[in-house]
Amino acid sequence: MAALLRGLRAGRLLRGLSSVVAAPTSTTPQCRSLRRGFHCAALRLQDESKSDKHSASSSYSSSSSSSTTHDDYTSQQDSDPSSGDQEQDEDYETEEQLQARILTAALEFVPLHGWSMEAISAGAEAVGLSSASTGMFTNGAGDLVLHFISQCNSKLTEILAEQHNEVQLGQAEPKKTADFLRDAVETRLRMYIPYMESWPQAMSILLLPHNIPDSLKHLSTMVDDIWYYAGDRSTDMNWYTKRAVLTGLYNATELVMLQDSSPDFHDTWTFLDNRIQDVTNMAVTAKQMQSTGQAVAQGLLGAAVTLKNLTGLNQRR
Amino acid sequence: MAASVRLLVRRLVRLSHKSVTSSAATVSCRPGCCLGPSSSRCFSDAAEDRSTHFGFETVPEAEKAKRVYKVFENVAQKYDVMNDAMSLGVHRLWKDMLLHVMHPQPGARLLDVAGGTGDISFRFLDYVSYQQERRKRRAAGSSQTPSWQDISDKYPTDDRPQESRAVVCDINKEMLKMGKQRADSMGITSGLSWVVGDAEELPFDDDQFDIYTIAFGIRNVTHIDQTLQEALRVLKPGGRFMCLEFSKVTNPVLAKLYDAYSFQVIPVLGEVIAGDWKSYQYLVESIRKFPDQEEFKGMIEDAGFFCVRYFNFTGGVVALHSGFKL
Repeated sequence: MAALLRGLRAGRLLRGLSSVVAAPTSTTPQCRSLRRGFHCAALRLQDESKSDKHSASSSYSSSSSSSTTHDDYTSQQDSDPSSGDQEQDEDYETEEQLQARILTAALEFVPLHGWSMEAISAGAEAVGLSSASTGMFTNGAGDLVLHFISQCNSKLTEILAEQHNEVQLGQAEPKKTADFLRDAVETRLRMYIPYMESWPQAMSILLLPHNIPDSLKHLSTMVDDIWYYAGDRSTDMNWYTKRAVLTGLYNATELVMLQDSSPDFHDTWTFLDNRIQDVTNMAVTAKQMQSTGQAVAQGLLGAAVTLKNLTGLNQRR
Repeated sequence: MAASVRLLVRRLVRLSHKSVTSSAATVSCRPGCCLGPSSSRCFSDAAEDRSTHFGFETVPEAEKAKRVYKVFENVAQKYDVMNDAMSLGVHRLWKDMLLHVMHPQPGARLLDVAGGTGDISFRFLDYVSYQQERRKRRAAGSSQTPSWQDISDKYPTDDRPQESRAVVCDINKEMLKMGKQRADSMGITSGLSWVVGDAEELPFDDDQFDIYTIAFGIRNVTHIDQTLQEALRVLKPGGRFMCLEFSKVTNPVLAKLYDAYSFQVIPVLGEVIAGDWKSYQYLVESIRKFPDQEEFKGMIEDAGFFCVRYFNFTGGVVALHSGFKL
């Protein structure tokens, strides 16, 4: 029964392949044929031995141009040797990747449609799927915004890691903490510039109650990453205070950026500079206050002892 | 020989009980019965040897299609009235929920299988036209005072064939006739076609439709997996399969009430309003024979759909299953 179904599925897929080959005017023939090719490969692999797997996958890799999905397939074949659910596992992995692909394509349509289901359906059509596939995204526009945010965060982490590597290799000078923070926040906020008109809509979507846990998670991981690459290895209360400060800084700068109309957001970066200056000053002031406070406390203690001596309370009888 | 005698006896017993079936909000019935998923599609067996269920009866597969056809031929005239009477109007809410979950984008093509009197298709066309109106209003509102240049630029975009189309497919001509009459009375002139076809062998090419719906029809087909395979075939890549069907009630108290209502009240209503006890008895029994939510979800996944989910309405009386062709 299962073999029959598999055979039917193979027949359908071969039909699909032939229809794709016969219709060269379809929007993304590469992606579709690639995916169907993988389906076919997966089906064949269940019957063949492992050694044949790698040869089959490598033959497909040479014919395809977009190799990202393919790399994931080969890595899954290496890590998922169980043959029973193999095809199912690979397809489930590709489901999320497919959703990511649709959302990435949808980002191009955001300036036109805003952060909405219409942008996602335009993205689905750009990828070559029917607009009905937007039903996969139960959170609608929230999915799109969260996907964009996580994409920006990964880009930022890559940039910071690269800079870190350069410093390790000695090709660049290590920056001071204040400068590092400033550059990191500026890099991250610059990623919003293409979507600036619709960004207020995106922010309001992130503030919806059912999106708040996810948006907070993204924000906190980003702040944590920035501080990690800034060199923070604290394990005490400083861990929390540093991240709280950076979160406040980032949010304030983002809000300023929303209503900034200066060329290249010059005012926003000035605001950022000033706030970081404030934070640094406050740190210095805090240290001074601490030492002053200690001195004052000692003085008061001395005064109290003197008073006690004068009144004769300190005498031992 | 013995088998046919047994069948005769069973049929006589049935008639003496005067069973009536009714389907609350059945759009149309698919000819065929749903075999248990354990039965294999061995092409060596003749169709007459394999039997399936017709309500609580057991009949040969070839016969089920004919009997289901007769059932719906009889009920076609009073179909919509009976739906409202049996479900107390709630079937309209179920169908509205189906459209809400579907959330079709303008330009989508719908295939409404077992569409019969066209409930889903009418709602689909309404929904899409409303969405388009809203978009036009939003676009017009954003540009406060459009210049003549803007207005003339918009003209070619309006001519773009972005209208959505719905195809109603049913095996029963009587049900389609009723649907056409309704469409005429509602004044729907474009975007709707009526096709006679078998859900297990659809008269359409591959990769044609964005959305495939089958509302209260899949429990009447002979081979559910064949129907699912056909659905997969005619859907475009990225297309969505949606099935609205009666299912297992989760709450035990509600289940008892529901059973009592189904077997005591619905056949009586059928006799009083439509003058047909047996048909409505069949339909109530066929609900009991249909697999439950999880099992049906497994069948949809086996057919090759992804992201399969189901939503329960009215405590499980009705379940909406949805899957994607990816």
